[in-house]
Amino acid sequence: MQNAKDSFYICLRNRLATLNFERTILLRGAVRPGILVEDAEAPFPQLPSDIYIVRWLGHGADIDLASTLLAEECEIIYGTCGCQTYGGLDRGRALTQMDAELLAILQPFSAPKWDYCTQPPTALLTQVFWDEPVFSPAVTQRDRLTRSVKIMVYSYQEEGE
Amino acid sequence: MTASCFPAPAPVSRRVRAYFAPVDRTAQRPVLFDPAQQGLFDLDHPPAPWIDLGFIQNFARKAISKSSAITAGVPAAPLEQVRESIGAQVSLQFLAWTKLSMALAAASQHMNAIAPDAPAAAVQSGSTATTLVLSANDAAGFAAGQIVAVDLDYCGQTGYIGSPICGAYLRQPLTDADYIRRITFNTGLVTQVTDSTLHLALPLAGGAPASGSKVQPVAGFVDREGGSFYHEWSGLFVMEGVQGERIFFHYPRLQPMGSAEESALPLAARGQGRLERVVLNAQFLALPVADPLDNERIVCYRSFLPAGNALV
Repeated sequence: MQNAKDSFYICLRNRLATLNFERTILLRGAVRPGILVEDAEAPFPQLPSDIYIVRWLGHGADIDLASTLLAEECEIIYGTCGCQTYGGLDRGRALTQMDAELLAILQPFSAPKWDYCTQPPTALLTQVFWDEPVFSPAVTQRDRLTRSVKIMVYSYQEEGE
Repeated sequence: MTASCFPAPAPVSRRVRAYFAPVDRTAQRPVLFDPAQQGLFDLDHPPAPWIDLGFIQNFARKAISKSSAITAGVPAAPLEQVRESIGAQVSLQFLAWTKLSMALAAASQHMNAIAPDAPAAAVQSGSTATTLVLSANDAAGFAAGQIVAVDLDYCGQTGYIGSPICGAYLRQPLTDADYIRRITFNTGLVTQVTDSTLHLALPLAGGAPASGSKVQPVAGFVDREGGSFYHEWSGLFVMEGVQGERIFFHYPRLQPMGSAEESALPLAARGQGRLERVVLNAQFLALPVADPLDNERIVCYRSFLPAGNALV
């Protein structure tokens, strides 16, 4: 499932870079598109604002099929305080924009699966695909608005994976 | 080691997309679909003359063909099977109300409600399926945002009316000069009026207007319970799998059956609001054609284009 998780993340990262190249984060000395995988970075004392954080949760498998179907529950968390220019009064608008961007980069609901452990990455035979997102209510913590979205990500296990 | 193929499980698909094409009623010629030649078409831009009806829901196919066994011997035992009858039905829900989806969901003649006190304006040469050239005086009577119907004047014809999309059948001549524009599928939304030209949002379903056509504003659409006319269309339903595979259900001849019905679907979960989406229920009877390959009488083709590298 690691190839599927990597491919899902890279797909969203590339789509975000195309959709809104200004949404970035400075991380480990590099400016990157504003989406990261939580378990692939050092722990954060507080989740950074105005970017998407991908968190992997549950795992399941259907082994009765011709190819084993693996499922992984993904949670994407994002929050914003708005911008300083407006004193944070635009935080509701900023969260709405992040909602729209996330919905846009999730479509289409599939992407080619790659093995990123090889150099260069190797194209695999199947697609990673996912279901429609389930948005949770926004949570207010002082001046910060946060939302989480859950998505089931699926992949067929290929020979050699 | 990298594999070169994979055993593909049953296709996983999110939704079904519907395309329809008019049957030439006079020549009794349906539109055929060849998955080998056309199967990889861009789903957003279907090959002519297919018209995209968008995604549908609750798509269901029901075969009503009957077979029976010829028995022989004592005690009798099946010797052969014979097909006593062939037939199929299709039901679905359209998620949008358009001229075509409304007509397909009504098993009767479908009409354009021509705006009152709106005389027809002659369409000039040089018009296309998306632009209608009028005289400057006539164009001044139209505005962006209007729906228009474009077709010929009715001149007392009988039989199937409307070309290339048949919209009615008349046994006796009428006196209404606007009749063809009442039943035509050549309708469109005006997005802009410039220099005596009406620009349409989408191409007219019947293509460029015929010479001598006129244009009239339309307020909306009407269908009737009753009547004796049944539309006939070729239908193509596509399920796209998540691995890129495609399943096609092609019905060369479909006639709407039943009555015009709607369903109200709540927008939110139960107890969370009273807003309802009104969707069009459609039900079709499949009629047979002779397969040009071997002259067998059939009502439907099911085709499958496997995903790349999938074992078959």
